[in-house]
Amino acid sequence: MNQLNYVGKSLRRKDGPDKITGRAVYSQDVKLPGTLVGRLLRSPHAHARILRIDTSKAMALPGVKAVITIDDTKGIKHGFVETPRYPPDQEVLARGRVRHVGEEIAAVAAIDQITAQRAIDLIEVEYEILPAVFDPLEAMKPGAPEVQPTHPKVRAEVPYSNIGGRTATGWGDVEKGFAESDYVREDRFESHLRTHGYLEPQVTLAHWENDKLNVWTSSMGTFVKRAKLAKVLDLPYSAVRIHKTYVGGTFGGKIDLYSHEYCAARLSMLTGRPVRIVATREEIFSAYRHGQPLIMEIKTGVKKDGTIVAQQVRAINNAGAFRGSGVVVIFLAWGFTMIPYRIPNLAYEGLSVHTNNPVRAPQRGHGCPQIRFAIESQLDTIAEELGIDPVTIRLRNARKPREQLPNGDNVHEGGLIDCIKVAGEKADVVRRYGKGRKAGGTVRRGIGMGVSGYFGGSLIYPNGSGVIVKMADDGSATVLTGAIDVGQGSETVIAQIVAEELFLPIEDVKIVSSDTDTTPQDIGAWISGMTYVTGNAARQAAGNARDKMLQLAAQRFNCGVDDLYVADKVVYNRLDPAQSMSYRDIIALSIATRRGDTVIGEGFWRTMRDVPTHPSLATTKGRWSENYAFSCQTAEVEVDTETGEARVLKALTVHDCGFPVNPALVKNQVDGQVSMALGHAFLEEIMMKDGYTLNPTWLDYRMPTIHEMAESDDADVITEEYVVGKPYRTKEVGEGLVSGVLAAIANAIYDATGVRLHSTPFTPEKILKGLRQLERERRERA
Amino acid sequence: MTETPKRPKSNSRLIALCVNGEWHEVTVKPRHMLVEVLREMIGLTGTKDGCEQGTCGACTVLLDERPVLSCMTLAADCDGRQLRTVEGLAEGEKLSVLQQAFLDQGAVQCGFCTPGMLLSATALLERTPKPTTDEIKKALEGNLCRCTGYNAIVAAVLQASDQGVTPLMK
Repeated sequence: MNQLNYVGKSLRRKDGPDKITGRAVYSQDVKLPGTLVGRLLRSPHAHARILRIDTSKAMALPGVKAVITIDDTKGIKHGFVETPRYPPDQEVLARGRVRHVGEEIAAVAAIDQITAQRAIDLIEVEYEILPAVFDPLEAMKPGAPEVQPTHPKVRAEVPYSNIGGRTATGWGDVEKGFAESDYVREDRFESHLRTHGYLEPQVTLAHWENDKLNVWTSSMGTFVKRAKLAKVLDLPYSAVRIHKTYVGGTFGGKIDLYSHEYCAARLSMLTGRPVRIVATREEIFSAYRHGQPLIMEIKTGVKKDGTIVAQQVRAINNAGAFRGSGVVVIFLAWGFTMIPYRIPNLAYEGLSVHTNNPVRAPQRGHGCPQIRFAIESQLDTIAEELGIDPVTIRLRNARKPREQLPNGDNVHEGGLIDCIKVAGEKADVVRRYGKGRKAGGTVRRGIGMGVSGYFGGSLIYPNGSGVIVKMADDGSATVLTGAIDVGQGSETVIAQIVAEELFLPIEDVKIVSSDTDTTPQDIGAWISGMTYVTGNAARQAAGNARDKMLQLAAQRFNCGVDDLYVADKVVYNRLDPAQSMSYRDIIALSIATRRGDTVIGEGFWRTMRDVPTHPSLATTKGRWSENYAFSCQTAEVEVDTETGEARVLKALTVHDCGFPVNPALVKNQVDGQVSMALGHAFLEEIMMKDGYTLNPTWLDYRMPTIHEMAESDDADVITEEYVVGKPYRTKEVGEGLVSGVLAAIANAIYDATGVRLHSTPFTPEKILKGLRQLERERRERA
Repeated sequence: MTETPKRPKSNSRLIALCVNGEWHEVTVKPRHMLVEVLREMIGLTGTKDGCEQGTCGACTVLLDERPVLSCMTLAADCDGRQLRTVEGLAEGEKLSVLQQAFLDQGAVQCGFCTPGMLLSATALLERTPKPTTDEIKKALEGNLCRCTGYNAIVAAVLQASDQGVTPLMK
């Protein structure tokens, strides 16, 4: 009975027709009569005491309906992380002090955009400028300006030194490991500041009406937004409804609570009118949250054959002015260090250091591209020193299927070894590696490889997903799911699973999603577990409805459920071909004989159901995930040694996502991540000076255009399967693949030129500098 | 009784835009951009507003059959002219060949760049029915997409121009 009709097929997107006709409603498209325009006043200083705020002139301006400062709030703090060790640290508007350029100080609501901006300009703020610090290493020095002096110290015995978070963990004995190693090397790598580049700006429309707050906001999880908004507004969850809208890209940048979301809500509560706040692109570039630049110090000891014996990793994060996800990325950098390879002895320390920069958010991969770039670059260097090829050294250390991870997790059928083998063969790495350097010439080619692993879902609020499948009289199904489609295709995937479980044509499956009042809670599109967690809940809900219908039919036919089969919404008895009953008739029978039961199926799922909570961010103790995805990626680059310019000719991604529910959607994810990695490698950088963003526009922050499209091939190492009526295991495919390919590009540049890059981006200047250095060394030797 | 505020001076003017074959009369100020008029006054929200800096291409519409950035185009300059937006691409329920190709190739993810992409590509196909890949890239170079990596979009334009690319999705 495992003939699959929908799961595993490249079906067109459910939301496609809306999106290609302009019917899709995004948050900026929702119109309510009488809507006011909100604007925020932001700090022009990186660090200053606020001595006085005077809003009277702004209030007096005709057309201004409300002005708020911190005094108009309940003073409830929030944070991306809210744990006893890391309590919420951010107010919704600045209180007495600003800690980064762009920090929100006040907000206005007015009848139009121009009036709102005039009102902002009329707010008087008196500042006392304070010394500021922007570099994490400077910030840790004694005497550096303290960004968050009242934050709890992460270690009692050492000075605060702006260290806002620390993860310390490991196993074995690294010193002994290094002593037993045949070769030990230390390297330092740095990654730079990039941003998400979602095309839809940050936008929120809020309407307080009849003691209920209705919100339309561009987000990655409506239930998280509801929880955070309700908290800072001091409202019960039931008084806040986040409505479904389509979302124009997120990539990690729309999960945290933003001041503008609070302000739109509060201004609506004060005025009784809808309030919309749209961030300008310049605001998004210069005041909103970006990703996390890491400094990574890696020391690795290996045996002669390349087997890793010990690894010591120190990651320092430039966390910005508040905690944001800064304390998470230093936990995750440990995780992304330890997933792919066996490390018998590990010592890891991650520090999250406050500076007077804007707050940081997760960004697709959340530490993974940074740390894999570092480790994979060093691994290639080690391999070369030992005379081992890039494929062999990776195979020697790669985790095997069913291997236990030191944190208590298991990789289950993790297919890393197959990924490395297939990538090595398809890209012909062993034969080609080293040829480019030997060939010489002005334009040189190189090939490189990078490996990564990624978790697929962990425990964080709301921890689980519920799904309801309602059968309609005609036998079609409506699925209520809190899952939010941010472009990844969750509505399509969930519809495929429900269609499969109910033997329904996919056209008969309707999705109602991501509305906090009408759909069940959902983990959201930001913890890399939606296909697994919400998908299994959908499978269970659909199966629940199916089983109710099949049991009725079996009773009616006087046979077992196993004797039944379904075709085109009609249930047949295999033992008696004359017996059949349509879904329509079964549902009518259910209503007639089962006290009105209209056939509703319910399902719910939680990852690691026996684990109470997420692992410790400080010590990494506790289970992290039950689904690990693996990948091996290669890049073929061409480097012009006269200009230093490098470009990717071809990228190959071989990955293990378990099995693809929709292979074309998986391919979409692969291509998008390769493109993002190209931006990381060559083009994108947020340039900052003294806390100010110098390039707050896409003209100067160069995202890949269609001219930078890479040829991207992929192959799926399928390790799991889908069986109707049984739980399944899918793995992450939407984040981790920005990582290995970045490392592969760095390794390919080395292969082409002999230049080992220790920092991103891979600019022509760095490559030329490296080439000149090599030339000098060659001359000195001669 | 408070005093009635003085009537403000107005420099607005009445213009007429023919959008997707229908005339709309709207009163605009000299500073009003076309994107604002389409989205806020005429109610055609399919055109997306991504940056207001003329950098992302999401707001692309066709003005007298040529792609323009509606966030950089003064509405008053469009008086009496023909406009086409994403809402005007399908004929009733019948999708254009290009729209269908976007669905077939998986060229849509979050969908925010899609209206602008479709209009830039529609203009290309109307003047060059069988564009080369380089011509496609040239025509779409002003339209940013953060989701797809562009491969599927190029494939969709090739499919729509009947150049041997078959649907990827069913």
